This record gives sequence, structure tokens and C-alpha cells, in this order.
Amino acid sequence: MEPNSVYKKKLLPKNVQKIGFLLTAVGLIFGLLSYLIDAHFAMSTYLFTYAFLVSIAVGGMLLFALEYVVGAEWSVPIRRVIEVTASLVPVLLLLVIPLLLHIKDLFHWAHNDVVQNDAILKAKSPYLNIQFFIIRAVGSVLLWYLFYFFMTKNSRKQDETGDQNLTKKNIRLGAIFIPVFAITITMNAIDWIMSLEPHWYSTIFGVYFFAGSVLASLSVVTIATVLLRENGYLHPEMVDDHYFSLGALLFAFINFWAYIAFSQYLLIWYANLPEETFWLLHRWEGGWIVVSLALIIIHFVVPYAVLLSQPAKMDPKRLKFVAVWILFAHFIDLYWLVMPNMHAEKFSILSIILQFAFPTAAVGVLVLVFYYGVNRQNMVPVGDPKLKKGLKFRL
Amino acid sequence: MDYSRELPVVEGQLSVADIEHLVAKPMDTKPDRKFFIALSITGSMLLFGAFCLGMTFYYGTGMWGNNQPIGWALDIVNFVFWVGIGHAGTLISAILFLLRQKWRTGIARFAEAMTIFAVICALMFPAIHTGRPWLDGYLMPYPNQHRLWVNFTSPLLWDVFAVSTYFTVSLVFWYIGLIPDFASLRDRTRSTIKKTIYSIFSLGWRHSHRNWQHYEKAYLLLAGFATPLVLSVHTIVSFDFAVSIIPGWHTTIFPPYFVAGAIFSGFAMVVTVLIFVRKIFDLEHIITLDHLEKMNKVILATGMMVGYAYGMEFFIAWYSGNPIEQFVFINRAFGPYAWAYWIMVSCNVLFPQLFWFKKIRRNIPTMLIIAIFVNVGMWFERFVITVSSLNRDFLPSSWAYYKPTMYDSGILIGSFGLFFTLVLLFTKLLPVVSISEVKAVADNAQPKQHGGAH
Repeated sequence: MEPNSVYKKKLLPKNVQKIGFLLTAVGLIFGLLSYLIDAHFAMSTYLFTYAFLVSIAVGGMLLFALEYVVGAEWSVPIRRVIEVTASLVPVLLLLVIPLLLHIKDLFHWAHNDVVQNDAILKAKSPYLNIQFFIIRAVGSVLLWYLFYFFMTKNSRKQDETGDQNLTKKNIRLGAIFIPVFAITITMNAIDWIMSLEPHWYSTIFGVYFFAGSVLASLSVVTIATVLLRENGYLHPEMVDDHYFSLGALLFAFINFWAYIAFSQYLLIWYANLPEETFWLLHRWEGGWIVVSLALIIIHFVVPYAVLLSQPAKMDPKRLKFVAVWILFAHFIDLYWLVMPNMHAEKFSILSIILQFAFPTAAVGVLVLVFYYGVNRQNMVPVGDPKLKKGLKFRL
Repeated sequence: MDYSRELPVVEGQLSVADIEHLVAKPMDTKPDRKFFIALSITGSMLLFGAFCLGMTFYYGTGMWGNNQPIGWALDIVNFVFWVGIGHAGTLISAILFLLRQKWRTGIARFAEAMTIFAVICALMFPAIHTGRPWLDGYLMPYPNQHRLWVNFTSPLLWDVFAVSTYFTVSLVFWYIGLIPDFASLRDRTRSTIKKTIYSIFSLGWRHSHRNWQHYEKAYLLLAGFATPLVLSVHTIVSFDFAVSIIPGWHTTIFPPYFVAGAIFSGFAMVVTVLIFVRKIFDLEHIITLDHLEKMNKVILATGMMVGYAYGMEFFIAWYSGNPIEQFVFINRAFGPYAWAYWIMVSCNVLFPQLFWFKKIRRNIPTMLIIAIFVNVGMWFERFVITVSSLNRDFLPSSWAYYKPTMYDSGILIGSFGLFFTLVLLFTKLLPVVSISEVKAVADNAQPKQHGGAH
């Protein structure tokens, strides 16, 4: 191996940290302002921001686990980027607290007097009650954290020892994580989003949130990979071919998301049962019709067209653009899932501006997570037995 | 296990000539006695099915066990079952191709052939389910004097388009893959008749650089087309049920749930058949234990997806607070068809969990048993969905129990006869493994691998 082709660790500049703190601080200040004006509204914006970060974090965990379970090689050179994305998981433990303090502000079913006068909600109360809700919300994050902790620990340890048994351990942990992931992400989708409209139900809802989560985490990984590689933070032997699978997976999950969204829509529309349709009709009222229709274009048509051709899937410029776009689309999707339930009768100009407060902070948090994540460890898993094969990956 | 090394896809240091010889052997030799015994069994099953079908056509579908309110029974159950079996072939040949899985080369041809045969079996059921197959022409929308049009808003019609498109694309995809092999067979055979036949089918293939370039492009494009197609087919099959407002049928998770179930059952069928094929035709170095283990992993994963869907349906039935929805699911698990429900759950969710253990994944007898269980379980899944959702109508006066007669179960047996007859003929007439693809992934086809690895 030539000396210049060996990975050398490089630290992110202090500016990145500054930007991260600045975004977080600005977001939080405006978020606080919006909270003082209207706590219910502010907490709703906080809720979809939290769902946004959950989807990135736990989606990252899934990608992390999948690499081990399916024995992927192409992704080994970028696995640390995936791990850093997943390192959002411990932050969630902190971020969930404000929501837990405002359950009553957000959820209809959390009010005893409402439940007592509503036969359906009464029937659901063994599941939808505050204690069990908190157990599920905190419990799922703790479970993710447990897997995150042990799997990243094994991965980092391998940098020094190169011990193949650590790969084996992570394969086992990853395999166990996948069913855990399926159950917890469904619970999170039902609890945080579906139960906002407590009468409504859809069996596919967990899969819908899952599709969005994979897209969101893949987008973050793609953006970070392209930026880090362009600036020399990743292994110098990486080539554009390594992007291909990121582009292909984004393309696949764009289709998967559209497929799931369409299936849910078509079946509800076709059967036309009032206990299901009201949720969609609600998103067809007033200005929401625009968001509903725009979602098809933003979340499906545009990224589909951009990613369709094979060269596009490994063109770093295009990938950067489309990954930011998809992240934005996912954000709109969550907004569309959460906000129509918030009975904000009129959106004032101020509230429209203020609802970007917490999302801005979320971007800041992501930047900080990457700042500390990148500087803390090697950005290439140098001890991984599959690294050599992974670097040699060509289409 | 050493993760830094690449596992060989073809074992036993086979040379390129060995591969060709092994795969072409069944076509070079005359069928033996065992082959004819097997063929007589499947042929008898087929004939029995034909008899039952003939009786049905003569007397009508009254020969079957269908009743009020269970108007849909084995005909649709068998249709969905066979379409599902077909899905594994496309998954292996197209989706695993897009995912760059080299191990698919050993099994893709066989799985793809099974797709085609399974879809033939599946297509039979919509064609006969009215007992009046001479009316099937009306399935196609065409301008006619009676101004009779098909119902474009019905997913049953979408099925006609989806399944026939799927069949066409699968057939073309399969045939494109066969062309280089036909050329190889043409070049090695000494019989004039065979040479003529292979020449016609090989379309003048000369293994030239340009041939391969076009081939690769066509193959990639067809894989790209086949992938959304295979997902759409079972999605539309699930719409047959889910667009209705019948409790137990109308649930939004049906599309992905059906697709996962299709892949699950299809893989189980591929494993079941390949266990015998690799043994009988000495293909153990080409269809290796690693291949079977990988397929078992897919069975485990898709089995859990199906289990997730069962759980979700139950949970949401409770969560919906809708008493009718709740009744249907309680009835499913504890009503008159509880036996079928628990066969389904144990075969599809419980037994495949044994595949968590590597020893079981790599043990031929246990994987055969589990794969057969999965086949049984997946047939019962469709039975449970169809029959147990219908047997308790909204009025207790229209409650009934469905029992198949000799005739509708005879047609099911006949479809198995048809399927296995076609499989047997295929093993004798065509290369069961893609010669050209396996050659390309064999160890000595990769010069760079020499050295450290051997």
C-alpha cells in the first residue's frame, strides 16, 4: 500500500462546533419565545421535531445493524458515518423530557374527563394512559441506547484490536436489534403520531413511519458522507462507486414510501368508512390540501426523477442536493402528520415563522452530534476485517 | 469464520468445463426409471385434478363446498397461494441481482422457472372459478356489440392485467437468461435434432463481446422492470380483499403483508425443491449449503414480517374499539376455524424461529421439515383470511361452516400435480442452473483471487 493512500485521522474545525451551537441556541431561544406565546402550539412543533430526530437516530441504528446482519461490504468504509448518525440516540433521552411534561397539552386521550365520556377512548385506556405511555416512550429510547452502546463499543474496540470476534458479536446484536426495532418504531409511531387522533387507526402506520425513518437516516448519512469525503475525512481509497448504494437505497425507499403511502390512501379511500376517512378528510381541508398534494411531488416525484438514472445514483453533487431535498420532504411529511391535529385555528405569520424554531435547533443538534462524533473516533473502522474488501468495492 | 475473506460461491474447485458438464448432464442422458416413477405420480395428481375440473365444468361449481356466506373459498385461496410461490423466483432473479448478490446465480434459474410454473397454476384458478371457462374472454376489455365492459374499478380486473403482465415479463426475463445457455448446449450436443432446436432458441448467439454487452443491458433493464412488477402483483392480490369493507379483510397493512408472505412462501418452496434437485443431479457444489442457509435467513426474516402483520392486525382490531372488528379476530383465533388459525401461526411464526440457530439453518432434514411447514402454513394463511372472515356474517342466520368436497380439494391436488410435472420436465429439458452465470462467479473466473486464498 502506498503511504499516501492510508487513512489519517483529521479533526473537524472549531467553526463547525460554533455553527452547531449557534443554530441550537437561536432555535431554542425562538422556541422558548413561541412557548411563552402559545405553549400548545410550541409543543406541537417540538413534537414533530422530536419525531424527526427519532427517525434519523433509530433509522441510523437500523442501517448500522443491517450492515452486520446482511454482511454488506460496500458500506464498511462509511460505517462510522452511520454510527455517528446513530449517536443521536443518547441525545433523545434528554430531548424526550419536555414532551413527557406536556402529555396533557398534546394528547386528547390524556384527559380523564374526556376519556370518561368517550366509549372508544375508554376501551383504549389500557394502552393509551399516561403511565404506560411514559414507560413505552422512555423504554424504547433506552432499548435503542443499549444496542447503540454495545454495538459502537465493539466497533471502536475493533479499531485497536482488529479482533474478528467483535464482528461476530455485532452480528448477533444486530440480528436481535432488528425485531426490537420493528416493534419499538411501530410503538413510537402509534404513540407520538397516530394517537394524536385517538379514534383513528391504520395497521400500516408503523410501516409508513419506518419508510420515512430509513429515508431520513439515509439522507443524513449521504449528506455527511459526501461532505466528509470531499474534505478528506474518509479513507482516500474510497471512490464514487461507494456512493452508488446510497443513491440506490434512497431511490428504493422513495419508492417504498410512496408505495406504503399510496396503499394506505387507496384502501381507506376505496372502503370509504367514516371511522377511517375523517383523518384524510381533515388533511383535505383549508390549506392542508396544498400540503397533501405537494407531498406527492416533493416526497416522490422530484426525488424519483432525480435519482432514476444510474449515473445519478453516484454523482456526489446530485446526491447532496437530493439528500437535502428528501430530508426536507420527510420533515414536511411529519409536519403533515402532526400539525393538522393541533387545532390551531389560524396560523398567524408569527406562528408560521416560529414553527421553524425547534427544527432549526434540531439541525444545530445534528451538526453538534457530528462535530463531537467525528472528532471522538476514527472515521474509518480501521480494524474491521471487511474494510479491505469494502474499499475495493466497484460496481 | 474469517470475515476478511470472500466465501466461494461455487465449491469444490470446479473447473469451467466441470460446471458445464454437471449442469448439462440431465439433458445429455436418457431419463432413468426414477424420473418416470416421479412423473407418473405427478401425472396422476394432474389427471385427478383434470377429472375434478371436468366434473366442475359439467355440473357447475355446486360440486364445490362453497356456500352462503362463504362464496370465496379454495379457488381464491389456491390462486393467492400459487401467485405467492411465484414471487420468490422474481425476488431471487431480479431483486437479488439488483442487490449484487452473487450467490443467486446457482439458484436463480430454477427459482425463475418455478415462478413461471406457479403463475401458470395460479392463472388457472381465476379462469375456472366461475365453472364457466368459456366466458373468460370477457375478462379482456374490448369493444363489443353488447356494450359489455369489464368493471375497471374492481381489483379483480387489475389482477388480470397485473398477473398476465407479470407472467409475460417473467417469461421474457427467464428466456433472456437462457439464451447463452442454449448456445452452450447447441455447441456441445451431437444430435442433429437437438442442435436444430437449441440453434433456434439461441437466436444466433455467438458469445461475442457485443452479444454480452447487449445481454447485460437487457438483463439489468428487465430486472429493473420485474422488481416493481413483482411487488405490484401481490399488492393488487391483497387489494382483492382489502378494498372491501369486510372486517378481517379491510386493513391497510395488507399490501406489504401479502408481499412479505409471498416471498416467505416462495422461498420455502424453492428450498423444498432445491434440496432434492441438488441431491439428485449432483449439484451440491453449485447449489451449496451456504445458498440454502442464506435462503433460510430470508425465510426467517420474512416469517417475522408476516408475524408482525398478524400481531398488528390483532392489536389494531383491539385498538380500533370497533366491536365487529374485534369479534372477527377473536373468532379467527377461537372460533370454528381456530384449528386453521393455529396451524398458520405455528407454521409461519413459531417454527421458522428455529432458523435463529446456525446448526438448524445448515441441517438439511430440519430445514426441509421447516420449509414444508411454511408451505402448509402459508396455504392456511390464505385459507384463514378468506374463509374465517366470511364464515360469520353480520346476521347469525347467515353463519356457516365451509368444508371442501372431493372436487375443490381435487383441483388443488391437480394444481400441485401440474406444478411438479412442469418442474420435472424442466429438469430434463433445460439447464436447471445458469451455466454462464455460474461460470462467471466460479473461483477460477476471478484471476485476482488466486494467491492467498488457495
